[in-house]
Amino acid sequence: MFDLAEKTLKIAEQLGADEAEVFIIHSRSITADIKKNTIESAKERGSEGIGIRTIVNGAVGFASTNIVERIDEAVKVAVASAKVRESDPEWTSLPSNSKYPKVSGTFDKKIDELGLDECISLTGEMINGALSVPDINTTSGSFSTTISKQLIMNTNGVEVIDEGTGVSGFVDVITTDGDISTAYDFEVSRSLDIDTFNIGKNAADLAIRSQNGISIEPQKTNVILHPFAFSDILGNTFEPSIDADNVQKGRSSLIGKIDESIATSELTIIDDGTLHAGMETSISDEEGTPSQRTTLIEKGVFRSYLYDNYTAGKGKTTSTGNGIRHSYSSTPSVGSRNLIIDYPQSDVIGETDEGVFINTVIGAHTANAISGDFSVEARNAFTIKDGKIDKPIKSLMLSGNIFEMLNNITGAGTDVRKVGGTVTPPLKVANMSIVG
Amino acid sequence: MSEVCFYDVRVIDGTSTSIVLDNGNIEEISVNYSRGCGVRALCGGSWGFTTAEGNFDINDAISSASELAQQMNNISPKEKVELKPMEEPVLKDLPVATIDPKDIPIEDKVQLLKDIDSHAKIDGISSTSAVYSEASVKIQYINSEGIDCEYDLIRTGFAISAVASEGGAYQVGRESRFGVSGYELFEKNDVFALAESAGRTAVELLGAKQAKGGTLPVILDPELAGVFAHEAVGHASEADLVLEGSSILAGRIGEQIASPLISIIDDPTIHEYGYYPFDSEGVRSSKTTIIKDGTLNSYLHSRETAAALGGEPGNCRAQGYSAPIVRMSNTYIDNGNSNFDEMLEEVKDGMYLTGSRGGQVNTGEGIFQFNAEKGYLIENGEVTTLLRDVSLSGKTLEILNNVTLVGNDLKMHSGRCGKGGQLAPVSDGSPHISISKALVGGA
Repeated sequence: MFDLAEKTLKIAEQLGADEAEVFIIHSRSITADIKKNTIESAKERGSEGIGIRTIVNGAVGFASTNIVERIDEAVKVAVASAKVRESDPEWTSLPSNSKYPKVSGTFDKKIDELGLDECISLTGEMINGALSVPDINTTSGSFSTTISKQLIMNTNGVEVIDEGTGVSGFVDVITTDGDISTAYDFEVSRSLDIDTFNIGKNAADLAIRSQNGISIEPQKTNVILHPFAFSDILGNTFEPSIDADNVQKGRSSLIGKIDESIATSELTIIDDGTLHAGMETSISDEEGTPSQRTTLIEKGVFRSYLYDNYTAGKGKTTSTGNGIRHSYSSTPSVGSRNLIIDYPQSDVIGETDEGVFINTVIGAHTANAISGDFSVEARNAFTIKDGKIDKPIKSLMLSGNIFEMLNNITGAGTDVRKVGGTVTPPLKVANMSIVG
Repeated sequence: MSEVCFYDVRVIDGTSTSIVLDNGNIEEISVNYSRGCGVRALCGGSWGFTTAEGNFDINDAISSASELAQQMNNISPKEKVELKPMEEPVLKDLPVATIDPKDIPIEDKVQLLKDIDSHAKIDGISSTSAVYSEASVKIQYINSEGIDCEYDLIRTGFAISAVASEGGAYQVGRESRFGVSGYELFEKNDVFALAESAGRTAVELLGAKQAKGGTLPVILDPELAGVFAHEAVGHASEADLVLEGSSILAGRIGEQIASPLISIIDDPTIHEYGYYPFDSEGVRSSKTTIIKDGTLNSYLHSRETAAALGGEPGNCRAQGYSAPIVRMSNTYIDNGNSNFDEMLEEVKDGMYLTGSRGGQVNTGEGIFQFNAEKGYLIENGEVTTLLRDVSLSGKTLEILNNVTLVGNDLKMHSGRCGKGGQLAPVSDGSPHISISKALVGGA
């Protein structure tokens, strides 16, 4: 890895690049897939590739490949496309070598050593969990493990190598008797500590409880959002609005809101690239900036946007360590790391006389990422009456605006879940509009 | 240990270029060269699957997929999987790229995109972004039954989005065209007019009123009705979902499930964005009538689902080196014989929903939700006030049965469809349709 990276940087400099960066990733994953109560297939995927960024006269070019013989050609194209561009006055420079934090809980040797037979037995447990509830079929699902190793090296002395593991279990179930109802559940972790039997059982219980839903009148009421529902809405509305790139381009409702109150005073939201065992934890981001902890909302007051190296240069500030790549073939852009939602926790359902509990939503990606308006279909929703989950609701549309929601949060439950990088309890929001 | 009874290999060589403009400035020029393979092996009822990238040895990849399948079959034996027999595909009528984008200098592409971008920047637009993409791909397919075939395909396209803002409110307008064609795509479409239209949509939506939710008669434009055909009906007709018990259409072949005015077709042979000459199992592409005059006629199949349920394979697709699954191609509601004025008369008071901002569907329960780009009130048979943030949701089968009129102005739109974590180029379309009753959501 190192030799290849050094060689590639040399070629780029010889071709006239002022600065250059290589990003190399090697990953391997094993997945067992469920189809209708059986484990249908086993997959082993290996991926490796290199992405090359070159800077010529303040203009950036990029090329990538997974073919070693074509690296030279890719470097040439990257330099040539940088030369096509006019110099970018906002460009400062690639990150320089810095001090990196220690992170923990991101590599589990047990995942590295896990064989296919053990993967299959953990997948089987997920089916067993679901089928331990009568009148349920698992329609689909999967269990997978991933090990990846990535290297970031640039001509400013950055040389970061990071190795991590991950595991995930997901299952989708449907009722087989009476009213048709579906549900899903999933868990993700950096170590082999997820209870796959429980994932299956939880999904099955939820599907059964959702049968024979009632219709309800359109109204404004208390809505408690499960971490799955909340993080889905948050990811499609709030997250784009804290992205410095959107802010600099005039595409965020949070422009000019630094140090203003934008949420209820008990709400704190932190982006943390160093969180112990976080799904998005590593020593640096994906352009070599050290990971850090950034307070976004502090007791209701908006404190910071998220920056990658480029947007930080443009905004005359420092990167918050949020340069993220979707793969070796894409350039870095701003993305959140572990987003931690903090609100005083209590028995949030017990304290609710009247309202609605929503487990998941569909259609959150259709939200207006700039205004924060959304209109989604709620799934596995229930009425709450006198502090208890009461009846399932058949069909429900939930509409609102994320920024109004942040001001209307009145409670949080105790069951904190990791939904990808988002770490959140269930949240109670007052005065939300629902149409049954 | 049992023997592997089938294997196949897809080798994919690709080159892609993308250019991203932001507010008229180049944000990114990116080129990718890639080569990789996806290998499947079947042992009894167990599939093994491996991918390899860069410089791989095909025989090694076949061996590891075979080992996975065999190991799987040992640990968790199950009923043997049958594959529907197939013939070597005959390739004809492939799309021809008259202008290979490779022959156009990158500077020209950048200039074209800048010109498109500037057309979106009409009065009231505060920012724009534009994307150009081209990809050329060579796909080779071989399997243990002796099939060996390959094709080359070029895809090009662009997308433009424009944002209008005023007093803290923002609205977006988007247009895009993608196709299986060369650089001539930019001559065949009036790309500047499309860009202006994106700008106009954003500006108009700023002044639009919030929609009030409720159950109403509606007219859907070809784009939104196409999304309905794809999301709500197309996905539910995918035989893998039918087999796993998550389709509302399971066990209903031959049943009247829609208004007799409705026919829905999936056709990978037409030269739209979802085109392919043979699918990811080497099966020659062919047209499938999913719903014929309101009656459920066929599911979409892979070789495995076709053998299990009866039907014709040819809709098994994969993104890159991923494992192929049952997918749509070019999916549309076929033309009827009504016109838009007749629909307005029929609806009288309701809503006209146009464009799409995507949607999702629960195929098991037959419930869907999607957001229109724009809505208009229909009052006394006339299109009146513009509305924003309008969504449509409901039960697929109820909507299909509530269709009262089908227009004769079929139009296709290109896009990418996600399933099982894989994106596939597709197109969908429809003529205008009117529906007697649908749940419309507002903010």
